[in-house]
Amino acid sequence: MTGVKGMLGAVVTAPLGALARVLDAPLRLWQRLTGQGGMVAFFLLPNMAIFTIFVLLPLVINVAYSMTTGAALFLPERTYVGAAQYERLLRCADYTNLATCQEDQFWIALRNTGTFVVLQVSLLIVAATITALILNRALRALSFWRAVFFFPVLLSPVVVGLIWRWILDRNGVLNAALVGMGMDPVNWLLERNYAFSAAIGVTIWAHLGFFALILLAGLQAIPRDLYEAAEMDGTKPARVFWRITLPLLMPNMLVVIVLALIRAVQVFDEAYVLTGGGPGTATLFLTQYIYEVGFASLLKNPGLAAAASILMGGVLILLTLLQLALGKRNERKGRLK
Amino acid sequence: MGRIQLHDIRKSFGAVDVLKGIDLTINEGELVVFVGPSGCGKSTLLRMIAGLDKPTSGRIEIDGVDVTPRSAADRGLAMVFQSYALYPHMTVRANMAFGLQNTKMPKPEIDARIAEAARMLEIEPLLERRPGQLSGGQRQRVAIGRAIVRRPTAFLLDEPLSNLDAELRVSMRAELSALHERLGATMIHVTHDQVEAMTMADRIVVLRAGKVEQVDTPLNLFNRPANLFVAGFIGAPGMNLWAGQARGGSVHLESGAHLPLPAGVAVPDGPLTFGIRPQHLRIEAGGPLRAEVRLVEALGPESVVHANLGEGGTLLAVLPGQPDLARGAVIELGYDAQAVHLFGADGQRVA
Repeated sequence: MTGVKGMLGAVVTAPLGALARVLDAPLRLWQRLTGQGGMVAFFLLPNMAIFTIFVLLPLVINVAYSMTTGAALFLPERTYVGAAQYERLLRCADYTNLATCQEDQFWIALRNTGTFVVLQVSLLIVAATITALILNRALRALSFWRAVFFFPVLLSPVVVGLIWRWILDRNGVLNAALVGMGMDPVNWLLERNYAFSAAIGVTIWAHLGFFALILLAGLQAIPRDLYEAAEMDGTKPARVFWRITLPLLMPNMLVVIVLALIRAVQVFDEAYVLTGGGPGTATLFLTQYIYEVGFASLLKNPGLAAAASILMGGVLILLTLLQLALGKRNERKGRLK
Repeated sequence: MGRIQLHDIRKSFGAVDVLKGIDLTINEGELVVFVGPSGCGKSTLLRMIAGLDKPTSGRIEIDGVDVTPRSAADRGLAMVFQSYALYPHMTVRANMAFGLQNTKMPKPEIDARIAEAARMLEIEPLLERRPGQLSGGQRQRVAIGRAIVRRPTAFLLDEPLSNLDAELRVSMRAELSALHERLGATMIHVTHDQVEAMTMADRIVVLRAGKVEQVDTPLNLFNRPANLFVAGFIGAPGMNLWAGQARGGSVHLESGAHLPLPAGVAVPDGPLTFGIRPQHLRIEAGGPLRAEVRLVEALGPESVVHANLGEGGTLLAVLPGQPDLARGAVIELGYDAQAVHLFGADGQRVA
């Protein structure tokens, strides 16, 4: 064992040692020339470079794209139009009637996403809270149940979508079961309300474990003494939940709400694999709209897609700032405790 | 109101018997302290009385009513937890009001009770603060206040002073005793600190390994411990306990010394443990105990002398003042015959 270990060690450390020897003199020189700040810059540089190339630069390019028009892919070949793409996205003759909007698909996607966010996040929070409350009890085979609820989180979103399509398809498992029980099959993914509900249900199923885990951590941090004190006081279970559990769970709950909001606004993969946005535009969400306008439709319009993505990015930034603010507030509160 | 009776209370967690049949009567208005080493079952017993845990068998009566099947809330007791268990997100006022609101008590009545308790505990300026903004001692008072406003049949205090620093503990101890006197309510106080037990209790219940070793007033426990365990547990520093043989009117210690039995005490010949408190030993030329000084802890008004007593035996003596004793010096000690405790082979007191 030690022989193998030693050999492995030598294989790993020998080149590193050689590298260190090679770099030693230039680094010392660099430090003498630039001081401590220069060393910090040296070590941060690789990370910053990657971030700049793959995150910052695309973001800037995206903003630039959103101010151009045409089907050309390369920025220099595109025509500058200023805010015209934004105007096109947002212009409606009558804002009470989405059909009068120039980009009615954008508005439909926006409405669908809004509805989705409100319904999915509220149901998800309720379901995750109930799950966490149950998992927080001394159940038999508790670790098993915790694993069961967390398992979907580990699946790739596309796999989640495929599994549920396999279940909910017209010729899927669920209908086979219904027919087996002598009932009529239902077009789960081809009827507007069912499809929309399926998108909500499936995304909740996929994300529930993650959020329940955060809430469970919060629940476990509440001292048992408090519940015993409440028990001595003859507090009814509902009052214990509303007056003790929920307020003390609030820091975790706020994190969960904001994270769930951010994820819901970005909804795409599971829903796209499941319904492809259909039937019609019933489950067309913003991200899918951006994807289709930019890459998938016949008349590709990268400029319009970029503008829509910037608008969506704005919403996400607001939500992220909200999360940061809440996090800071919790930190302050935590210090007070 | 507030007489609590325990009849053969037993509790097992799986195969482990934590309480092995406790019979006890706590009288109305009494301050009883449960004391014992860690794991003796004192907190478990308190939780049974509180109703937070159910006994495996046995019966708990409060004022003659069997409350064993009743929930914690229906027993009319209030508990002060070791951690205080204050609701961190509520103000002091809300903490105190919480239990009363459960009973649908009218608000003016709640306010009046809080005001009264706050005045009694001198926490009026703290009512609008949250527990996080209070010191340990203040939290302790709030926890007690939360119990007082409920006007319980009895107060259950689970190591309420153990989270306080030494100085605060001494003053809170006195305050709790004063509070008990003022309220006249039954109180059961759990602690592992025997000084706390001695100073506060009307009666002390000494527990060991799930059994009651002795129930008595603090001074009786000190003066007449019923067995070796109580003798060793109560009193600081602990009693000198030497194993020996009773033979012909004296005790032959394993360390070699021969100690005459006190006059009028007759014990059968055989194995015996001889006990004497360190405070009851005195320097006495020609005394029956000869020991070699190992260490002297000079505390000012008194000195604790650690000494070797012949064959491996050790001796502790608390001597008044600051005697001039060097390490290695041989001293001779004596004692009053009535200060001697004798325990038989079964560990029970014989005289």
